[in-house]
Amino acid sequence: MQFLRSLFIFSLLCSQAAFAQDAALGKEKYQDCVACHSVKPGENLLGPSLFGIYGRKAAVLEGYRYSNSLKKSAITWNEDSLNRYIADPQGLVPGGRMPYSGMPDAESRKALITYLMTLK
Amino acid sequence: MVTKLKQVDAVIVGMGWTGGILAKELAEAGLKVVALERGDMRTAQNDYALPNIRDELRYVVRQELMQNATRDTLTARNNLSQEALPIRRLGSFLPGEGVGGSAIHWSGGTWRWTDMEFKIRSMYEERYGKKFIPADMTIQDWGITYAELEPYYDKFEAIAGVSGKAGNIKGAIQNGGNPFEGPRSRDYPLPPLKSILSSKLFEGAAKDLGYHPFPRPAANASKAYTNPDGSHFGACQYCGYCQRFGCEANAKGGPQMTVIPIAMSKPNFELRTQSWVTKVLKDASGKKATGVLYTNLVTGEEYEQPASIVLLCAFAFNNVHLMLLSGIGKPYDPVSGKGIIGKNYAYDTGVGSTLFFEGKSFNPFISAGGTNTVIDDFYGNWDFDRTGPGFVGGYIVSAGHNTALPIGYRPTPPGTPRWGKEWKAATAKWYQTSMAITTRSGVLPHRHNYYGLDSTYKNAFGQPLMRLTFDYQENELKMGVHGAEIVNRLSQHLNPTHHVKASSAKRSWNVVPYQSTHSTGGTIMGSSPANSAVNKYQQSWDCTNLFILGANVFAHNSAYQPTGLVGALAYWTADAIKNRYIKNPGLLA
Repeated sequence: MQFLRSLFIFSLLCSQAAFAQDAALGKEKYQDCVACHSVKPGENLLGPSLFGIYGRKAAVLEGYRYSNSLKKSAITWNEDSLNRYIADPQGLVPGGRMPYSGMPDAESRKALITYLMTLK
Repeated sequence: MVTKLKQVDAVIVGMGWTGGILAKELAEAGLKVVALERGDMRTAQNDYALPNIRDELRYVVRQELMQNATRDTLTARNNLSQEALPIRRLGSFLPGEGVGGSAIHWSGGTWRWTDMEFKIRSMYEERYGKKFIPADMTIQDWGITYAELEPYYDKFEAIAGVSGKAGNIKGAIQNGGNPFEGPRSRDYPLPPLKSILSSKLFEGAAKDLGYHPFPRPAANASKAYTNPDGSHFGACQYCGYCQRFGCEANAKGGPQMTVIPIAMSKPNFELRTQSWVTKVLKDASGKKATGVLYTNLVTGEEYEQPASIVLLCAFAFNNVHLMLLSGIGKPYDPVSGKGIIGKNYAYDTGVGSTLFFEGKSFNPFISAGGTNTVIDDFYGNWDFDRTGPGFVGGYIVSAGHNTALPIGYRPTPPGTPRWGKEWKAATAKWYQTSMAITTRSGVLPHRHNYYGLDSTYKNAFGQPLMRLTFDYQENELKMGVHGAEIVNRLSQHLNPTHHVKASSAKRSWNVVPYQSTHSTGGTIMGSSPANSAVNKYQQSWDCTNLFILGANVFAHNSAYQPTGLVGALAYWTADAIKNRYIKNPGLLA
């Protein structure tokens, strides 16, 4: 029992460390996005603020003019939808406003999404 | 009735690269600055966003980002004996209008002009003798040096996010860059853009023939970038809508996403759009500018904006036009060769071949403003002997697609019907399988190529239109003949299925189709008031508190695109004003 408990704590610590590492790498990957997206709440640039993006419904921030395609998409931003969107924005939401042609590397996307999860 | 406004320290006419740079620099120095822009405020988030920006009809056919020719335009003629007529729809050149100016729709080509330009007359006379330069070719030394400008080129490249590969760092030649460029203090701020198939083919052919290919330096960010001012750039997405479009990805350097927002964040700076300047005002002595007269285009109200310093930062045409309308300096007379304002208008020219390759896929819709490979062996290369070809100047040669538009870009081989089913099938096929190799030469000034005021036609404000008198001369023909031979040699080396050869013949300039927006001269820079309108600080000899910025100060045109020098000169002038002129107003020496 004692052993199992240690293992549990150990694996928890490991996953926390991995999360922090991913988030740090993800913050670097976010440099690809920074020209258009702020992480400050309410600061919309070419793209909407990424603050609180994780778990939010798509196209709901006030003060940002979203494309009709994104408004009608009924997407909620979770790991799966963010992963598909960042890989190929126009593939998931044709006619959307984001001109980014996609981040091809899955590990980079995972790290970026982990970073986005910390923005709350 | 004219409303006289409160005096400010500096008034800026036009809000493109030069106006934006001066606005930021002077506002940061604490001056009270007002900028007047005749066009609209436009931003990337509202005006250049996907999907609306990729609209060829709106931006190419209807020219939405360009000067409105129904309000003000130029009249044109080829020579003194012709009657000049107004250009009612822009064609040959496309000056931008609105905040950001022509830097919204440029491709980003950014070059460093060297002492080969600034000492053109003395270098050619020394090497080829005085008789080599034709009597009517009004070239002269500029009175500035590459060494003076190097730090300012560096500054502009860093601010504009230029991607490229250095060819000469502090005198050491670098592989893969332009070995003929001036010595740089360091490499470009960003690595070169990705190479596309057409550029790669050209690169191979150029190397095989012993030339020195390198990627065209361009203010298209090859990766995400934050410039020294903290302005953020996205990475270029190779979207294929570069030239004539605003950038959807914030990757094409421009004042609207760098210097202008910084100026606008200062409380001592004010931008007034829809404000059309009709005149620079002078005091009774005629030696001091007192401000400008402008009309608010929304209300029609006329205002006088007094200022201690007046900066003309509009497009080259419009700066010269304002000088002529304001009666500052002596207008140039092509018959006597006397007078200065309007002198030495120059332009671009070039020749090209089109290559068709059965079975290749160039994907020309994937390109950027700078996805070109270039050789400078016949321009920056001073060792290239001009004795035989007999011309002053030369040309660069380049290949690679840039903005190969889905409607307008329709290359077909000779023998294709001009319309109908067969034409449609041919354009669909050859869109993917063709490329071009072209030269670019700067036109050298000629005593009969100049700007003046038109005696017949007027603009919406009742002022005489600017009249452009321009034609190509023998020197351009000689550059074309030599360039065509080199282009055809490179093209044949690639063994295309069909090859429309480059050729050069004596021809007159026409106002259609689009050729180049690079217009230089009119208020040229020089060493004394006898030979120029401004000194090397772009300061008017006639009114020392008047600065005239931009390609209008170029004493001739180059094979290189002008913006790198326009930007460097803007920072150079800003420093001279901030560090010296403010403390001690008067002629800068």
